[in-house]
Amino acid sequence: MNHIPWLTLLIVIPAGAAILLQFVPRRLTAVVKGVTIFATLAGAVIVTLLLLWLPGNKATSGPLPLHFQESHAWLPAINATYHLGIDGISAWLLALNAGVFLLGALAISRKTTDRLRFYCTLVLLTQAATTGVLLSIDLLLFYMFWEGMLVPLYVLLSNWGGDKRGPATVKFIVYTVAGSLLMLVAIIYLYVQSPSGSFDLESILAQPITSGTPYVIPLIHLTTFTPKELAFICFALAFAIKIPIVPLHTWLPDLYEACPPAVLVFFAGIVSKLGAYGFIRFALTLFPGEMEKYRFVLAGFAVLSIIYGALMALSERDLKRIVAYASISHLGFIALGIFSLTNNGINGAVIQIINHGIIISALFLIVGFVEARTGTRDLGELSGLERRMPWLYFFFLVATLAGLGMPGMNSFVGEFTIMLGAFQLNWVYAVLAGGGVILAAWYMLRLHQGLMHEPPKPRTEGVHDLHIGEALLLAPLVALMIFIGLYPKPITDISTGSVSTTVTLIQPAASNPGTQ
Amino acid sequence: MLIAASLVPLSFPGGRDLAGILPELVLGGAFLLLMVLDLVIPPSKRTWLAGFALLGIAAALGVTVWAWFDANPGRLVYAGSFAYDRFALFIDAILLVSAALVVMISPNYLNRRGLHYGEYYALILAATLGMMLLAGATSLMVIFLAIEVLSLALYVLSGFSRHEERSQEAALKYLLLGGFASGFLLFGMALIYGETGHTQLAQIAAAIQSQTTIAVDPLLLAGVLLLFIGFAFKVSAAPFHSWTPDVYQGAPTSVTTFMSVTTKVAAFAALVRVFTYTFDGGGTHFYQHWEPVVALVAITSMVVGNIAALTQTSVKRMLAYSGIAQAGYILIGVAVGPVLLPSGQSSSFGTIGVLYYLAAYAVTNIGAFAVITIMAGRGEDLDSYDGLRGLAYRRPFVAASMALFLFSLGGFPPTAGFFGKFLVFTAAINAGQVPLALWGIATSVVAAFYYLRVGLLMYQRPAPGAEEYRWSRTGFAGSAVLVVTTAGTLILGVLVVLVYTAATSSLKGLIV
Repeated sequence: MNHIPWLTLLIVIPAGAAILLQFVPRRLTAVVKGVTIFATLAGAVIVTLLLLWLPGNKATSGPLPLHFQESHAWLPAINATYHLGIDGISAWLLALNAGVFLLGALAISRKTTDRLRFYCTLVLLTQAATTGVLLSIDLLLFYMFWEGMLVPLYVLLSNWGGDKRGPATVKFIVYTVAGSLLMLVAIIYLYVQSPSGSFDLESILAQPITSGTPYVIPLIHLTTFTPKELAFICFALAFAIKIPIVPLHTWLPDLYEACPPAVLVFFAGIVSKLGAYGFIRFALTLFPGEMEKYRFVLAGFAVLSIIYGALMALSERDLKRIVAYASISHLGFIALGIFSLTNNGINGAVIQIINHGIIISALFLIVGFVEARTGTRDLGELSGLERRMPWLYFFFLVATLAGLGMPGMNSFVGEFTIMLGAFQLNWVYAVLAGGGVILAAWYMLRLHQGLMHEPPKPRTEGVHDLHIGEALLLAPLVALMIFIGLYPKPITDISTGSVSTTVTLIQPAASNPGTQ
Repeated sequence: MLIAASLVPLSFPGGRDLAGILPELVLGGAFLLLMVLDLVIPPSKRTWLAGFALLGIAAALGVTVWAWFDANPGRLVYAGSFAYDRFALFIDAILLVSAALVVMISPNYLNRRGLHYGEYYALILAATLGMMLLAGATSLMVIFLAIEVLSLALYVLSGFSRHEERSQEAALKYLLLGGFASGFLLFGMALIYGETGHTQLAQIAAAIQSQTTIAVDPLLLAGVLLLFIGFAFKVSAAPFHSWTPDVYQGAPTSVTTFMSVTTKVAAFAALVRVFTYTFDGGGTHFYQHWEPVVALVAITSMVVGNIAALTQTSVKRMLAYSGIAQAGYILIGVAVGPVLLPSGQSSSFGTIGVLYYLAAYAVTNIGAFAVITIMAGRGEDLDSYDGLRGLAYRRPFVAASMALFLFSLGGFPPTAGFFGKFLVFTAAINAGQVPLALWGIATSVVAAFYYLRVGLLMYQRPAPGAEEYRWSRTGFAGSAVLVVTTAGTLILGVLVVLVYTAATSSLKGLIV
């Protein structure tokens, strides 16, 4: 088992399947879809095995204990390595990644998807890239996957979706590129400054980088940021755009609106979580002192996201935009948990990352089903689906309750733990975030009631219920919402160790910030 | 050397010198042969000429590869006026591969445009020959001669569409402005010669190093800057770029493909040899005097090129402005070239960045231009953005490779363009010139916008009533070129170590 490069396999399987697809005749749509499902399923199986083996696997020693690590020279001249590894946090994100792509593959409709083989190829390439992001320990490799992810995503988003997809896609890409190019500068800066002259996160952490002397603006003698602080800001911007945190969110509603549901399942499910993952994996470990210094500001923006997202979700009429803004609000919670820099907060964030992935996938699938049947996403034209679609009603009810953080549902566990962390940071944040939970109940119920109750409108006449395939897509998600809500221990069992390692990296910086 | 002895009689007076220009000799021979063959071969069989040209290029490439192993260490030939070193050979290889790819896409395109004249291939070879000479030139005289050789061939080529006014205009514009730039170049050389008393780069370098650090000769500096302007014109860096869009648009697309890449590669090779390695001034830190100018031109190019490209509606003009911007990125590598780190070590990151960028740019840009060359319809150029609309529905693979080239030009991983940009940015930050890298970043964001906009067009269905552009068949040669450039773009983006090692090795072997 130790001789098999499992992590490389996780990247190679989808990429290889994408190449394989080019040799399958275009008309054999069943085969094309089958290959896609099989590849994503294989990835899911491997991730499950890794999760089972992880507790028994011996981690590397060092500031960042890694499991199943693989390290090879990639570009020796500049010390870039092909270094992969996972820990308790990334293992769960990998599981989410494998899950949403499997779901995305299953949700592909062979009848309505135009140019299916091309579509599947791009989905698989996207999976290879997101998997790479979660596995990379080397900063340059990480950047390759992080930015490379945009290539298949761009083609995917510009080909399938609503009328406004073109501008929305370009907006998304340009936003993201702006952030990530700044991160590239910061990565190069860290590489140049690191005593070991390396891109490897482990070796950079082993010999921390000094923050350097702050820039002083001449004439007015205003002391500004140190170079390391600027590097931190670059990283933070890149990740904040990806999450997104208000006010860097404007690409998200437009894009989600234009995006087809089958793409949204994995786009909303994993791509937006990568920003949160980036904060945990790179910003927290590389810049503990700076995180400590700016945590109140960052948490402030996170709270702003929670409230703003919720208010916008209340005011929108388009189903997709409502869910998009709800998503911004939920992602604000995740960010708040991370920025609290406490064990509780980050543990809660990890749980909530998974939860959000499950809930948002379910909600977008439901929106997709409704739109496919009624031909509209306008809340004003939809109502009374309860009687027409009892099965949908049931699934949607659970998802709604999960989305609004009902005790006993998965979100409650995550949000509660995050609130604990936020309290440790400052009670004001916790109170404001609590306001966000109340708003969540409001917008989720508005959405649910508007769709389900009230007398049916012309658009919803003669709509038929979910067929078995659609119900089977939603069933596992709904089951997970309830299961995690009742018994979240499996998640925390694996993640806690890695979370506290990450938090201890911050603690010495907290006690004497001057030395960092 | 044994093989060299068998190829060229070394006992013959000047035999060692001849052995040093063997790749150029082979290509020159092919050029002359082609001129004669053109007279013999009937007009209907002109595609054969392309085959012969390819053979000649392949032979020269073979000799170049052999010379790569032979020229270790390299040497100066012809009394120090030409370098037989790995640096020149590295550039030669890029030039020859580019020329071969262009020759492959030419026959079909020229036939469709009704421009299939025999001298086309001879002129391509002549221009390539001039560029190869420029890559190895170590004397101001040879540099000037090489530039004139390549320019004259390109002037004719850009006016090759004889009955089209736009092409004529392009040729005239290129000729006039090119002559003007040659004037700058020559005037700079004269000043340098006047101040140092030498035309050989090695002796100029020695003369500069013997100067005191405090008082830099103003005439020498003026000469260096004039020389730089001459080169900046050839690489089409702003503000010396004004000819580029018109010439690129007016010239037949296959010619644009050729000159947009090869001129830049050759001129940058000379720029590196002359500026980074001759005018660095050793202990006198002479480079501090011209580096700010280069940095300024780099920034201007990135800003002007990228912003002007935003508003274009012609693919060729967009790629022309993009080429101006790319010249700016490559100039970053020159601007931070001979950097002395605080630790006392010198770093050649910048120059490696230049070489890597050139290789990446060559393969990517040829790919992008090849797409619009191959797809061009009968009797006209594929020029407007609308011509690409809906390409993905008719030619999915061509569109996919075009998208890849656009991503590479935009600097997205995992493509060649990313590593080019990455290396020059690393060089800038390494040299402490973070603002230069930040300008690069800011303009790259703008660039992403216009490259992706073109990409979007290919994936848009044409409006219901609108007529689709009538794309030509890809053909065997066209497919081959696209496969090679696509593979190259990906290989340079992932297996970086191959070209990186070659670039490092070529720099180690560089002699002035």
